[in-house]
Amino acid sequence: MIEVSGLTKRYNGRAVVDDLSFEVRPGVVTGFLGPNGSGKTTTARMILGLTRSDAGVATINGRRYHDLSRPLCELGALIDSGGVNPSRTAVEHLRWLAAANDIARSRADEVLAIVGLDSVAGRKVGGFSLGMRQRLGIAAALIGDPPVLILDEPINGLDPEGIRWIRGFMQGLAADGRTVLVASHLMSEMALTASALIVIGAGRLIAAESVTDFVERAVSSVRVRSPQLDELEIALSVEGASLWRDGDALEVVGLSIEQIGVTASRAGATLFELSPQRASLEDAFMQLTCDTAQFATRRQAS
Amino acid sequence: MRTALAMEWEKLRPVHKTSRTIALAIALAVSVSALVALAVASSASHMSAHDRLTFDSVGISLEGVNAAVLAVAAFGILSITREYATGMMAVTFLAQPARLRVLGAKLLTHAGVAGLAGAGACVAAFAVGQTLLSTGGLATGWSAPQLPAALGGGVVYLILVCVWGIALGALVRTSAAAIIMSAFLLVVAPILVQILPASMVQQASRWLPSQIGVQAMSAHHDPHAFAPWTGLAVLAAYVAITLVAGGFRMVRREP
Repeated sequence: MIEVSGLTKRYNGRAVVDDLSFEVRPGVVTGFLGPNGSGKTTTARMILGLTRSDAGVATINGRRYHDLSRPLCELGALIDSGGVNPSRTAVEHLRWLAAANDIARSRADEVLAIVGLDSVAGRKVGGFSLGMRQRLGIAAALIGDPPVLILDEPINGLDPEGIRWIRGFMQGLAADGRTVLVASHLMSEMALTASALIVIGAGRLIAAESVTDFVERAVSSVRVRSPQLDELEIALSVEGASLWRDGDALEVVGLSIEQIGVTASRAGATLFELSPQRASLEDAFMQLTCDTAQFATRRQAS
Repeated sequence: MRTALAMEWEKLRPVHKTSRTIALAIALAVSVSALVALAVASSASHMSAHDRLTFDSVGISLEGVNAAVLAVAAFGILSITREYATGMMAVTFLAQPARLRVLGAKLLTHAGVAGLAGAGACVAAFAVGQTLLSTGGLATGWSAPQLPAALGGGVVYLILVCVWGIALGALVRTSAAAIIMSAFLLVVAPILVQILPASMVQQASRWLPSQIGVQAMSAHHDPHAFAPWTGLAVLAAYVAITLVAGGFRMVRREP
């Protein structure tokens, strides 16, 4: 469990993370979503004690990162694919991490096998591809077998096979009962991997809920096709719908499917199609972040 | 602290750069000592009786240790700056969030290695220097009464330089800047001092780290310079100031 409360970070007077509060629960993959520059990485670094917060606290199972006596055994983190001296071999990199937290030396080989790097354990990291470095970073996060994981953009640099691997891998970690927070700017990826979401924009919390609830909050439209499209358009407008033409179809917002059906029948229009258009996670994200951006500008203006 | 030391030791152990730096330091010390001793021994026949009496056989044999200093400084500097350059420092702080403890562990492990390397360099340089000096009848041998102090002074000098390197690395963070600063202090400053009016040169040069090092390893003391251990105390003060500044920066500034 990760708890963040009132976390704030300012750089040169500008708030990059602004009074952010949320909880990350064990047992599910939680996506930490926001556009680039929205404060995801800064938030992760504050949880990890790498960046000093100006206000607020972040705790891991009730304790601050600095107060953990063997932090790698409480929280595993992938902060970027760097962080490795290129003249060191993969297993050497993991061995000094193990030594730092009193973890058995043999654990280095174990985690290399888990991420599928056991065959290159003795090779220098300088010759690794971005995807291999990413896997090594994940191995490093797992070195202390931690119950909580924070992975910042874990699919960066991975090939399609690696992406599929890490999806299943993160879900497996959550199924073990671990707390898994995955920061990403790729909504499509989060739609496939995460079941809970924390969405931020400009350093503020936009949503903290399940993926399904989040998508449902987004406005969905209904697609209508009819040979009497002009008559139908007038009738629906009178009922208060907002609509627009999309080729030979109408996209209707603001009325339920039932209301549209009744209106069409009263207007004597034949319907060829009446289908709800589900908003994707991406649409939901765009709508909600767009709202906060406008909200923020309005607030500044007043 | 135990785990921090274990971490730094595990980092130090496999990196071939460590052994290469140490080998370089010893090789520099031995070869420069050999050259100096050879030059002195070849002109021994022209030396007057007074010259022979005041000849500093120990100091000349250890001359090469002054050449090893830059390698030892670089060893200290790179232990920090390479971690900043590769982003490894953030991973280090994830494993050991108490940053001053990390700095302390780095100091102890690297000072230990520098001490061993320094002892090796001093003993090897002395052995080679004496062998070559004996060809001109100028050797004093292992029983010279000033030898233990000179060898000890040399080792302490190299340890202080290594710690200074770590402190500089923590302060400026980039390899190039820190190495240029250390080269300035150890190599360029002694040259610049020569520009001063003659009356001030000796007054000023006693404060130079390189001069302190030379004095620490010589048997005959220059009356204008600090006594060997006083000089090393002055150097230790420089190191302490840099270390406080470097430690402060490490704790205060990100990552």
